[in-house]
Amino acid sequence: MFDFVRNNRRIVQVVLVAITLPFAFWGVDSYVRNASGGDDVARVGDSRISHQEFLQALQAQQERLRSSMGGRPVPQEMLDAPELREAVINGLIDQHLISLHATKSKLSVTEQQLAQFLASVPALQQDGKFSRERYEAVVAAQNMSIPAFEAQLRQNLTLQQSMGVVALPIVATDSARRWVAAELEEREVTDFVLHPEQFLAQVKLGTDAAKTFYDTNRKQFELPQMARVEYLVLSRAALGEQAKVSEEDISAWYKSHIDQYAAPEERRASHILIQADKSAPEAAVKAAQTKAEALLAELKKNPKEFAALARQNSQDPGSATHGGDLDWFRRGAMVKPFEDAVFSLKEGEISNLVRSDFGFHIILLTGIKPAHTQPLEAVRDQIAAELRDQVAAKKYAEMAEGFGNTVYEQADSLQPAADKFKLKIERSDWIAPQGAAPGPLANPKLRAAIFTDDAIKEHRNTSAIDIGNDTQVAARVVDYKPAAIRPFDEVKAAIEQKLARDEAVKLTRKAGEEQLARLSKGDAISLAWGKARNVPRMGVRDLAPDALRAIFRVDARKLPAYAGTALPDGGYALYRISLIKPWDGKEDDPRAKMLRQQYERVTAGEEVAAWLATLRQRYPVEINTKALAEK
Amino acid sequence: MAAYDLEEQEQLAELKTWWHQHGNRVTNIALIVALALAGWQGWNWWQRNQATQASAVYMGLEKAAAGKDALHARELAGELIDKYPRTAYAAMGALLSARVQTDAGDGKNAQAQLQWAADHSTDPALRDLARLRLAAVLLDAKSYDAALKALDGTPADAFAPRFEEMKGDIEAARGKVAEARADYESAIAKLEKLPADKGESGAVREPYHQVLQSKLEAMGAGK
Repeated sequence: MFDFVRNNRRIVQVVLVAITLPFAFWGVDSYVRNASGGDDVARVGDSRISHQEFLQALQAQQERLRSSMGGRPVPQEMLDAPELREAVINGLIDQHLISLHATKSKLSVTEQQLAQFLASVPALQQDGKFSRERYEAVVAAQNMSIPAFEAQLRQNLTLQQSMGVVALPIVATDSARRWVAAELEEREVTDFVLHPEQFLAQVKLGTDAAKTFYDTNRKQFELPQMARVEYLVLSRAALGEQAKVSEEDISAWYKSHIDQYAAPEERRASHILIQADKSAPEAAVKAAQTKAEALLAELKKNPKEFAALARQNSQDPGSATHGGDLDWFRRGAMVKPFEDAVFSLKEGEISNLVRSDFGFHIILLTGIKPAHTQPLEAVRDQIAAELRDQVAAKKYAEMAEGFGNTVYEQADSLQPAADKFKLKIERSDWIAPQGAAPGPLANPKLRAAIFTDDAIKEHRNTSAIDIGNDTQVAARVVDYKPAAIRPFDEVKAAIEQKLARDEAVKLTRKAGEEQLARLSKGDAISLAWGKARNVPRMGVRDLAPDALRAIFRVDARKLPAYAGTALPDGGYALYRISLIKPWDGKEDDPRAKMLRQQYERVTAGEEVAAWLATLRQRYPVEINTKALAEK
Repeated sequence: MAAYDLEEQEQLAELKTWWHQHGNRVTNIALIVALALAGWQGWNWWQRNQATQASAVYMGLEKAAAGKDALHARELAGELIDKYPRTAYAAMGALLSARVQTDAGDGKNAQAQLQWAADHSTDPALRDLARLRLAAVLLDAKSYDAALKALDGTPADAFAPRFEEMKGDIEAARGKVAEARADYESAIAKLEKLPADKGESGAVREPYHQVLQSKLEAMGAGK
């Protein structure tokens, strides 16, 4: 070793310099950063998306899915779908791309800019000024440290800088108008519909067609395995219903929790807001104040007009439509100056101008609910339920383990467990491994336990399965039918009917297409055309997108023009276009206004998408598909 | 010298002659490398410093844009272009200000700023966006030839559909229906040729496809 060093001193020196130089200029960081995590889900340029970061984003997305379903349960397959994972990782990659691009473009946000931003967030203010305590509380509530929070915030701000200008396209008035005109162009259309029922009589099925279909599609005629079970349910809810609570217990609880039943004062107010942001230029604030003062003067003369004036003038869109009404609220719900004003007014009184960060308010107090305490009578049932649940929770905790043991140790019957825990044995009708099942049997874990050899062939109890909500269920199979295929004779008629209909649909389409070809050629065919109506390209509710596309795609320079489309119910619709009505060009048409905005939105979206695509080309992106699929 | 044996003495002598011959060159190279590295670091520092200052100006510009203060936005964009032309902020400022000017009905100023971004931005994507927006402003000013000229030169693939659509709009505006139709067809073909969409932006491309389809159909024969 030393000989090598001595004999190759020059090489060694070069190597040493190569190692120390980076240290001198870039620090230890340049070495540590290259140490790879191994199970990263993706790489974007030189940044990585770790498995942890990915899972967090995935959970957030699943949460969003759940809340978008409005409380209805989301099927597990949807939450586990590979498409969802792909969407999440691609979203993360986009974020990393933008942030990487911002770094490469040397975009930055200084301490001072960060401070400016924080100072402008209303949620962090107290009495109209940035409050350090409030800031710390908000950050702590998100389980973050201040430096981590600020680093993330800074990244978000640079991200916004980088993308902001891309997402603000300049749309030529002419470009937008051209699309609006296209969407509002109307065509006068009549239709003629061919129905498959008309062609059923022409259908001739081969004698063994049904049998062939049966033989080649056996899977469709499978009947799943079925079982009938008896089962026991041990649940905290049921225990609660049985629990008894004494009158003394209730009143003792009431006395010791009296503060829960005291309600603070609530007030109801209406207001008129004239917006004047804190950061608005002085001239704008002045203008707002003048306007608000004029309104106030008018109200002093005509207090009864408050609701009408609020509807016309208030710039608080949420309440303006309700005549300014804000409904009941307590102290702490509104910004400080507003609250102070409301709680110092008398009922029916109108305030002077109140200045808040939002602007100038004129407030009318419309109601006072004084602070009060609910009497025991009003809350007795609520307390009883609470106490019963406490008893039930304790009992359930005591019984749960014993229940599991009993059904396991005496596996050839549910009776011992039923006797011991005073439960009733329930019986089910036939259930299958998949599909609907009544009550607790709908639980997939329980169903999986029922359809095992242990339960079916060995006739043993299933173990006690926790189906959530502090409920355990044990079941036992009493009757079983293995999977089977329905006999041909039983399904023959249905198959024949289906095949005949399929054939009729084909004939319908063929006839429709033939007629369309002849009409387009100019042949005179007399058809019982329906009533003419005008259809705009943007569509109408009762016309399927396919039909709309057919009507508008056809070359209509020579009229009448003809189009046709297959209908989802198997029919075929022919359309005759007899007139084209170009858009009248009236810009005040509300549809035109809506479409113009839509055009700008679509254009902005397209430009952002294109921009992101160029970033994907510029920086190498690599997805680790194995790590992506991992749980 | 007694501390070294013969072989070592020989090696030392060899080393000395080598150093005598090459020493200067080695020192020079080391010096140049060190200077180059220092220069590189200094250059980076200078760039970062410029960017930091430009960022502060840009933030002011964002505020002016939010308040629709066209005059102030124009001044700040001008400051970015004059003082920090090599930063990304200069082109971003020009684009942002141009939008504010357009909204305020001042196409002339928007043109100048977009032209600057199209010519000088260091970011090719921003150059493409600037050309596209310049063409839009020129189209509304009815300067059809100039608008088409702004779109000359191949953009990045992803921007090609928007470029073709804009060309179609320009041709249609001056009554050249056949050319417009060809442009819209080409826009659709280029959009369909792009790789399948990924990321959160994926959902927007279908509506855009339909926009192009409608514009094409409105030119007469659809497909």
